Amino acid sequence: MIAASRLGVSLPHVSATSQIVASQLRPAVISLSSASKDVIPERHEFWHTQQSLSASAPKSCFLRATSAVHGPSQVRYAHTDITVPDFTEYRRETTAAANRSAEAGSVDRRAFTYMLVGGGAVAGAYSAKSLVTDFVSTMAASADVLAMAKIEIKLSDIPEGKNMTFKWRGKPLFVRHRTAEEIEEVAAVDVNSLRHPEHDSERVKVPEWLVLIGVCTHLGCVPIANAGEFGGYFCPCHGSHYDASGRIRKGPAPLNLEVPEYEFTSDDLMIVG
Amino acid sequence: MSFTQTIYNTVFRRTSSYALAIVVGAVFFERFFDQLGDGLFDYMNKGMQSHMQATCSKQWKDLKQDLALRQSSDEDE
Repeated sequence: MIAASRLGVSLPHVSATSQIVASQLRPAVISLSSASKDVIPERHEFWHTQQSLSASAPKSCFLRATSAVHGPSQVRYAHTDITVPDFTEYRRETTAAANRSAEAGSVDRRAFTYMLVGGGAVAGAYSAKSLVTDFVSTMAASADVLAMAKIEIKLSDIPEGKNMTFKWRGKPLFVRHRTAEEIEEVAAVDVNSLRHPEHDSERVKVPEWLVLIGVCTHLGCVPIANAGEFGGYFCPCHGSHYDASGRIRKGPAPLNLEVPEYEFTSDDLMIVG
Repeated sequence: MSFTQTIYNTVFRRTSSYALAIVVGAVFFERFFDQLGDGLFDYMNKGMQSHMQATCSKQWKDLKQDLALRQSSDEDE
C-alpha cells in the first residue's frame, strides 16, 4: 500500500485501489497484489504539480494520503480500534461532561485562574518589596549610632558675642551667640553681592543663635572665630573671610559654611543632629 | 451578570487593570500581613499575666506601662 501511494504518476490506479481500501486495510493489500499483474499504467503527457498531486490523492473518512513532487508521500490511517483515553480524572467538574459545550462556565474558570495568578503576584510583589527594603535598610545607620550622633547644647553656657566649638560627628561644630549689632549687620547685606547668595534668615532659626559646621569650604581647615575682616570667621590656611552669618565674603572658599540640622527643644536646650 | 462575570470583565480582562489591581492589592496586603505578624508577635510575647497582680512583661512597651502603674501605686501608698 505504501508502494501504491508512492506511485504518483499512476494515479488512476492508486485512487481506484484506495477507494476499495478506504474502510478496511486487509482486502486492499490482497486486491492490489492480485491486480498489479495485469494493469499497465497509461502514460499521459501530463506534468504533475504539488497541487495536482495532493488534489488527486485519495481522501476519505479513515484514509489520508499526501503526495508531493519532491516531498515525501505518506498515507495515514485513522484507526478506529483505539479507544480515546478517559481524562475525566483530570477534568474540572464543570467540563467533565464530554457531550456539552464547556463555553458556558468559561468565565468562572478563567476568573479562578486569574485569581490564583493575581494572588501569587501580590504575594510576590510584597516579598520583593520587603526583600529590597531589608537589604537597603542594612545600609542605614542603626538607632544607637543615630542616638550617639546627636549633641545637646546648653545655651545658657554661651555668653552673648561668644563662639563655642563642640565636637560633633568627628567635626567641629560652631555655636555662636550673636549680638544685636551682628544680627543687624549681616541682615543688611545685599544678597546679590554675595558669592554664595543666601540671606541670613535662611541660615538661622533664631537670629541670636548661629549653628555652623566649622570646616572651611575651601580645603577643609577649621576657621578661627571672631577674626577676619567681616567679624565672623577667618580661615588661616588660605585666608577665607566669613561674616557673622558664616557666609563667604572674601578669599578662595566657594561656598558658605554649612548649617547642620538642629532644633530647640526648650528655651535653654538645643539638639544638633 | 454574575459577580464573577463582573469582576472578570472589569479587572481581569485587561492587562492594565489586572496589573493595577495587583499593585493596589499588594499595598493593602502588606498592611494586613504586617499587622498580622506584629499582632502575633505581641501575642506570643505577652509575658506572664498571673492573677497575683505582679505581671512579668517581656517587651519594653508593656514594661513601660507596668512601671508607670507601679509608680502611681507607690505614690498612692
